[in-house]
Amino acid sequence: MPASRALPAPALRMRALRARPADAVRRAERTGLMLQLAAPLIWIPQAGLLAHAVGAIAAGASADAALMPALGIALLGFLRAGCDAAGARLSFRAARAELSRLRAEATRALAARSPLDLDRPASGLAASVLAEQAEAVVPYLARFRPARMKASLLPLVLLAFVLPISWLAGIILLVTAPLIPLFMALIGLQAKAASEAQLVEMGSMNGFLLDRLRGLATIRGLGAVDATARRLRADAESLRTRTMAVLRIAFLSSAVLELFAAVGVALVAAYIGLFLLGMLDVGATGQPFGLAGGLFMLLLAPTFYEPLRELAAAWHDRAAGQAAIEALERLAAPGETLPGQTLLGADDAPHTDTAFAAPAVRVEGLGFRHGAGAAVFDGFDLTVAPGEHVALFAPSGAGKSTLIALIAGLAAPQAGRVLIDGEALTPASAARLRARMAYIGQKPHIFAGTLARNVALGRPRVDHAAVRAALQAARLDAVAARRGPAPVGEAGRGLSGGEALRLALARLAATPEAGLILADEPTAHLDATTAQEVTEGLLVLAQGRTLIIATHDPALAARMDRVVTLAAEDRP
Amino acid sequence: MMQMGERRVGERHRVSTRRLRRFGALASIVRLFFAERGWALTAGIALAIVTLLAGLGLLGTAGWFITATAIAGLSTATALAFDIFAPSAVIRLMALLRTAGRYGERLVTHDAALGVLAGLRETLFRGWAAPEAAGRLADRPSRLLFRLTLDIDALDSLYLRVLVPVAAAAAVAGGLILAIALIDTRTALIFAALLLGAGIGVPLIALRTARRPARRRAHALEVLRARAVDLLAGQTELAMAGRLSAHRESLSAADARLVDADNALNRVDTYAGAGFTAASGVLLAVMLVLVASLAGDGRITAPIGALVLMVALAAFEPFAALRRGMIEMERALIAAARLAPRLTPAPTPRRAPAPGPGVAVELVGVSLGHGGAGHGGASHGGAPVLRGLDLTLHAGERLAVIGASGAGKSTLLAALAGEIAPLAGHLATRPATLLTQRTELFQDSLAGNLRLARPEASEGELRAALAKAGLDALVAALPAGMDSRLGEGGLGLSGGQGRRLALARLILRNAPVWLLDEPTDGLDGATARAVMAQLGSCADDRTLVLATHLRREAEIADTLVLLADGRLHTLARRGEPAFDALLDGLRPD
Repeated sequence: MPASRALPAPALRMRALRARPADAVRRAERTGLMLQLAAPLIWIPQAGLLAHAVGAIAAGASADAALMPALGIALLGFLRAGCDAAGARLSFRAARAELSRLRAEATRALAARSPLDLDRPASGLAASVLAEQAEAVVPYLARFRPARMKASLLPLVLLAFVLPISWLAGIILLVTAPLIPLFMALIGLQAKAASEAQLVEMGSMNGFLLDRLRGLATIRGLGAVDATARRLRADAESLRTRTMAVLRIAFLSSAVLELFAAVGVALVAAYIGLFLLGMLDVGATGQPFGLAGGLFMLLLAPTFYEPLRELAAAWHDRAAGQAAIEALERLAAPGETLPGQTLLGADDAPHTDTAFAAPAVRVEGLGFRHGAGAAVFDGFDLTVAPGEHVALFAPSGAGKSTLIALIAGLAAPQAGRVLIDGEALTPASAARLRARMAYIGQKPHIFAGTLARNVALGRPRVDHAAVRAALQAARLDAVAARRGPAPVGEAGRGLSGGEALRLALARLAATPEAGLILADEPTAHLDATTAQEVTEGLLVLAQGRTLIIATHDPALAARMDRVVTLAAEDRP
Repeated sequence: MMQMGERRVGERHRVSTRRLRRFGALASIVRLFFAERGWALTAGIALAIVTLLAGLGLLGTAGWFITATAIAGLSTATALAFDIFAPSAVIRLMALLRTAGRYGERLVTHDAALGVLAGLRETLFRGWAAPEAAGRLADRPSRLLFRLTLDIDALDSLYLRVLVPVAAAAAVAGGLILAIALIDTRTALIFAALLLGAGIGVPLIALRTARRPARRRAHALEVLRARAVDLLAGQTELAMAGRLSAHRESLSAADARLVDADNALNRVDTYAGAGFTAASGVLLAVMLVLVASLAGDGRITAPIGALVLMVALAAFEPFAALRRGMIEMERALIAAARLAPRLTPAPTPRRAPAPGPGVAVELVGVSLGHGGAGHGGASHGGAPVLRGLDLTLHAGERLAVIGASGAGKSTLLAALAGEIAPLAGHLATRPATLLTQRTELFQDSLAGNLRLARPEASEGELRAALAKAGLDALVAALPAGMDSRLGEGGLGLSGGQGRRLALARLILRNAPVWLLDEPTDGLDGATARAVMAQLGSCADDRTLVLATHLRREAEIADTLVLLADGRLHTLARRGEPAFDALLDGLRPD
C-alpha cells in the first residue's frame, strides 16, 4: 500500500504545527505558576505592616501613626488579589487548552478508525469520556500543579523571614510541617485504594438507577416497582455506610493536617508569649524581639501551613484528572484505519455537481478477517454490471454486511481488491470513490438535530428544496410536518423503525449524484406493509443505478435482477 | 413605544415568575432534604459554625495573648502577676476544637448528603415509575436519562456547598458583629458594613454572572456528548456522505463553546476570589485605623485591639467557602427545576375490575388513547387511537392482535396491562403480565433478574422456571450458575436465550393473562419457532394476547383481530376462511 506509506511528510508538518501553540501555552503556564507563587508572598509585607502598627499602638503612638500602614495593607491587598487572579487565569487557560488538545486528538483518532474495528469503543462510553470525564483534566492541571509548587516553595520562603527573628519559632514550624506530609501519607495510603474503589461504586449507583429506568417497562410489567425502589434505597444506604467507612479514614488525613497547623500556631503563640513575658529567654536569633517581631511571626504561622492545606484539597483532583487523561489517551490510540480518513482528517470528498453514471463493481479474491479472528471471506469474487440490481442473499451471520462495508471502503481487506468502474479502492481513492456511492444500513443512525438536518447531513449542496423533495420521495413529509423543527435522535424523541428506514431513503434521495447504492438488510425488523413500502421506495430511487443489497428477506431478493447466495459454509 | 414598554413589563413579569418557580422547585428539594435527615443536616451546619468560631478564636486569643504578654513583660512585677495558664489553655482548646469540629463537620455533612441522595433516588424512581412514564422514558434518548443522573449529582452541592456555607457564614458573621458591638458600636457598624457588603455582594454578583455561562456550559456539554455519540454511532453514514471531517470540526466547535463557558465561569470564580482578597485587605486596613483611634482614645487596650485585628484578618474565611457554591448554584437550580415534578409519588396503579366467571378479558365500547397530561408529543393530541372496541376473551383463549404499525396494538396491550385507563367504555381483565418487546436484562445476578418477577421465590422455584423455559442447560454451563452477572458489562445472552429468560420471569409471575408484545421480534426463523413452541407449552391454560406482525407468532392464536382505521376491523376465529386470509397477509419470517 504505497499510498498509506506516503504519510510521514504531512504527519511531521502536523507535529510542527502543534508544537508552536504548545510552547506559548507552556510559557503562559509558567507565568501563571510564578504569579500564583508570588501572591501569597505579598502577605509578608502586609503582616509586617500590621505587626508594626500594633506594636506602635501598644507603645502608645498616636492614632495617625496607623494610617500609612493601613494604606499599605489595603494597597498590597489589591496587588495580591490581582497577582493571584492573573496567575489563576493563566493556569486555567493553559489547562483548558490542554483539555481541548486532548479532546481533539481523541476525536481525530476515533474518526479515523474503521467502523468494522471490533475494538472500537462503544459510542456511549466514548461520549462519557470525551464529555463528562474529560472535565476532570482542568482542575488537575489548573489547581494541583500550582498547589504542589506552592507547598514545596512557600514554607521555605516564610521560614527565611522567621529564622532571622527567632530560630526557635522557626524550628517549631520546621518540625511540625514535615510531620504533616508524613502522617498524611501514612493515613492517605491506607484510604487511597479503598476510596478509589468507592468512587467506582458511586458511579455504579448512577448506573443502577439508569439501568432500572431503561427497563422500567419490564419492571412495571412484572409489578416490581416497589421492590426495585426499596432495593435502590437499600443499595444506596449500604453504599453510604461503606463510603463513610472510607471517608472516616480519608478525612483523618486532613484532620491531622489541621491539627498540626493549629498546634503549630498555638505553640508559636505560646512560645512568643512566654518569651515576651521574659519567662523563656531563649530562641531569639539576634536581638531579643519585641511585640512587632512576635506578632509578625504569629501572622506568618498560619500562612506557613496554608499551602499544605491547599495541596491536600487538590489531592483528589489529581486522581480524577490523571484517570481522565489516561482515558482520553486511550481513545486517541489508533486502531484499524478507515481507508481515506487519515489522522490529518481533511479527506472529505470534494463536492461536485456532476452526477456519476452507474458504475460496474468488481470484487477480486477478497479476504477479510477481524483482527486475528477467523476469516469472514477468503478469495471471494463478484462482478456486478453497471445498472444491475444484485441481492447478496444469506442467513444472518454469513458476512454479507461485512461485504457491503468492504465495497463501501469502510475497512481495508487483507487480501484482494474492490474495483469501482475499474478503479481500485485504496486509501488514496476511497474518499473520492465513496462520493459516488450511497449507503443504507439496517438501523440508520439518527443524528441529534431536526429531521431536515438528518437528511442533509450538513452537505452544502443539499439545500432546503432538495431536503423537501427528498422527504417527499421517502414519504416522510407527513412525519416531518408533524414534528416540525423538533429535534430527533440523541437530542429528542426517537423515530420508529419504519420512519428511520424512510429517513435513510430520504438521504438516498438527496444523493442523486451517487451511481451505486449499497444497502445492508434494509427491510429487517420491519412489518410486512412497511417492508413492502421501503422496498418500493428503494427500487424507485435505484432506477438507472447500480444496486447491491445484502438481505435475508426473500420478498426483497425476488425483486432484484440477480441473487447471489452466500452460503454460511463459505465461512471456515 | 407603549407597546414595547408593555411587552418589556410582561417579559419582566414572566422572568420573575419563572425565577419564582425555580426557587419554588429549590424550596421543595430543600424541604425534602430536611424531611429525610433534618437532624443530621442541622448538626452539620452547627459543627461548621463551631469550626469557624474556633479558628477565629484561636487567632484572636493568640493575638491578644502576645500583645498582653509584651505589655506585661515590660516590668518584672506585671510579668510575674500575668496568668499565662488561662489564655494558653484557651488557645489549646481552640486548636483542638477546630480540628475536631472540622473532622466532625466533614463526616456529618457527607453522611447527611449521601443519606439524602439515597432517599432522593428512591423518591425519584417512584416518581418516574408512574403509569405511562415507562413509555415516555423509552421514547427518550439516552442523553435525557443520562442528564438525570447528572442532575441528581448536581443537587449534591446544594447542601454541601450552598446550605452549609451560607448558614455558617451568616451565623459567624452575626456573632463577630455582636462581639465587636460589645466593644464599640460605631466600629461594629463599619465592620458589619464592610464584611456583609463584600461577603454578600461578591457571592451575589458571582451568582448572577455565573448564571448564563453555567446554563451555556450545561448545554454545550450535552451538545458535545451528543456529537460524540453521533461521531461513533453514525460514523458509517458520515463517511459515506463525505462529512466525517466536517462532523469532527463540529465537535471541536462544541468544545470551543464549552471553552467560552468554562472561561466565563472561571473568570467569575477567580474574580470573586480576588474580590474577597481585596476586601479582606481593605477590612483589615479600616479596622487598623479604627482600632488605633480607639486605643488612642484609651477606650480599648492594645491586646483587645490586637484581638479585633486578628479576627478581622480571618473574618472573610466563612464567606470564601460560598464562592464555589454560588457558581454551582445555577446548575443545581436547573436540576431542581427538572427533578421537582418527579418528587410527587406516582398514584397507585388503577386496577381494572375483574370480569365475570369464565371470562379473562372483557371490553365493551372501549376507546383508548394516550391523552394523559404531560405526554410530550403533539402527535397524539389526546385523540383516541382506538374507538368502540367490543371484545370478550374466555379463560384459556389465545388472541393475536395484528395491524400495521401505529394501528394501536401496543395501546391495546397497555390498556390491558393497566398502564393506561380507557377514555370511554368498560374494560375488565384478570391480572395480566406484560412481556415487553425487548428483553431487559438488568445489571444484576441471574437470580436477581428472575426475582424481579417474584421477590420471595426460592432457588428451587427459580430453577424450575428456568427449566420450563428451556434454559436449564445454559445455567448448568455457567461457572457462576445463578450468581452470574447479566446486563451491561455482564454476561450477554443471545436473542433466543434472552426471550427464554423473559419467559421464565413470566412463569414466575404466574398471572392468568399473558400479554406478549411481538415476542420473537428480531430472532431468526428457527430460533423464533422454538421460542414460540416453548411459550405455547408453558402458557398451559392461561389466556394469551399477542401483538404481532409475524405469521409465526400469530399461528399460536385461536382468534385473530385486525386493528385498522382506529377500530376493530376484523375478528376471525380458527377454522373460518377469514382467519387463514389474515394469516396469509402477515410476513412469513
